[in-house]
Amino acid sequence: MSAVDMRVRIGDLELRNPVMTASGTFGSGREYAEFVDLSRLGAVVTKGVSIEPWSGNESPRIAETPCGMLNSIGLQNPGVEAFCANDLAWLAAQDVPVIVNVVGHSVDEYAAVAAQLDSEPVVSALEVNISCPNVDAGGMAFGTTCAAAAEVTRAVRAETRKTLVVKLSPNVTDIAEIARAVEAEGADGVSLINTLLGMAIDTRTFAPKLARGVGGLSGPAIRPVAVRMVWEVARAVAVPVIGMGGVTCAEDAAEFMLAGAAAVAVGTANFVEPSATLSVIDGLERFCAERGIARVAELTGAAWPERGKRET
Amino acid sequence: MTCGAHRPAVEKATVAANDRMARGVGVVTLKAPATAAAIAPGQFVHLRIAEGADFILRRPFSVYRAHGGHLEILYQVVGVGTRALSEAAPGTAMDLIGPLGRGWWVPEGAAHALLVAGGLGVAPMGMLVECLAQRGVAVTLAHGAPTSERLLARELFEANCRRVELATDDGSAGACGFVTALSEEIIAADRPDVIYACGPEPMQRTVAAQATAAGVPCQVSLERLMACGIGACLSCVVSTRDGRKRACVDGPVFDAADVLWEPSEDPEVRA
Repeated sequence: MSAVDMRVRIGDLELRNPVMTASGTFGSGREYAEFVDLSRLGAVVTKGVSIEPWSGNESPRIAETPCGMLNSIGLQNPGVEAFCANDLAWLAAQDVPVIVNVVGHSVDEYAAVAAQLDSEPVVSALEVNISCPNVDAGGMAFGTTCAAAAEVTRAVRAETRKTLVVKLSPNVTDIAEIARAVEAEGADGVSLINTLLGMAIDTRTFAPKLARGVGGLSGPAIRPVAVRMVWEVARAVAVPVIGMGGVTCAEDAAEFMLAGAAAVAVGTANFVEPSATLSVIDGLERFCAERGIARVAELTGAAWPERGKRET
Repeated sequence: MTCGAHRPAVEKATVAANDRMARGVGVVTLKAPATAAAIAPGQFVHLRIAEGADFILRRPFSVYRAHGGHLEILYQVVGVGTRALSEAAPGTAMDLIGPLGRGWWVPEGAAHALLVAGGLGVAPMGMLVECLAQRGVAVTLAHGAPTSERLLARELFEANCRRVELATDDGSAGACGFVTALSEEIIAADRPDVIYACGPEPMQRTVAAQATAAGVPCQVSLERLMACGIGACLSCVVSTRDGRKRACVDGPVFDAADVLWEPSEDPEVRA
């Protein structure tokens, strides 16, 4: 069974398998160390990090919805300095590629965080978050127009030679267009989707369930939307796509890869089952072995019409 | 007493019993030997009530008592999760993560403790009262509920407390009124060495203010919506004098003096 080659590439970065964690659902990895042997993961993608500490939004910050959840955490984080001193220092002792999610209120803030992380050897790649729906300034505002997405990507690209991934928002009319814009500015890959803007109202109190009113929807409920967007983006750009949105098992991961993703991320499922990433990795290897697929990378885009239907 | 010394793990639990205690309130007994052996008073477990349902998140539950490889959890039916829990028959598999969080602690030299519980606020207090009794701490319990039927688990408390005072909203048992009227009198008359409070947040806040006024240390067990339960998702934050803390790992028990009860007290809240 171990005959399956699970390695995939994102830019210059080689991952031991295509399964990583979705930003914001896995802390900095340390919180999950009791449950997951981090060295088995393709990569750890950290929570979003800003130049200054951010305190996030007021509570309630989550609301459960059918087959999913809304969140409006608001990117609470201790700031890049404390992040490097504590989280990165701990991650440096772990045998796993580290991808740091970068957030900002302005282009300059994104660039400043990237510049600081560029000098950290433990950081394998940056994931520029232009898609968080839960902050007032910055966040998703940079991910909903091609010009703004391109500007942030250009500014971060100028500050780092590390692998650069841009995380895209689904809350747009044409996500492929945004993907092309960031690819043109030097992104080595794109990740999608971030959460879908949503809302839930308590019919008992007549008030929104989230303190901020609106939030981001995640979990299996959004998977079909995410698979569709991965399909569209992967066919529009040459750089690798990291697919995510409701991945809970190996078949879900395979579905994203068949749509065109080179790698996948597990998000909300980590809350349900802390070791979800490991069962996805093991299951994906089994999935390939059972079908005589020698390299997991062969799954990428295998559902595209030009590849022809698989004999079953 | 130190809490949270044991590392959390996923344990496959089985429902051993599930009994109705009052209207909409039950006690589920889970066979979970590893967690039962490790859990400390005031800690919680994160329960996956059902798989394959359209609600996917775990639910955090205080552990009321732990003995003989079993956990007892008091619950009130408030939504789809607790409804499914109330319908779980003996033999149902239900995995949990535990023990989690920072529980109650006993200050050095405490000889007299006051427990203040509002309604289901007794849920994290069973192990606490047993632990205090074993250590020779005299315990007074002030317990309030909407009606006498909802004054839960009176036998356990009567067996382990020096004194139990009751209050109900409808006067069907004990004093008619809020439990905070009882706590105010007891604090003034007896001056306990430590106060433990759990219940609706306005009640806890009132008890905390009474404790501060009397100069008595007070701990509160706070309830928050929670996704991961292990410190990663930042859903369950509590505003404190030391910034926003996670109820799942920095709590659920907090020193009441550290808690900022009003959003206006929290410097992190933008005007």
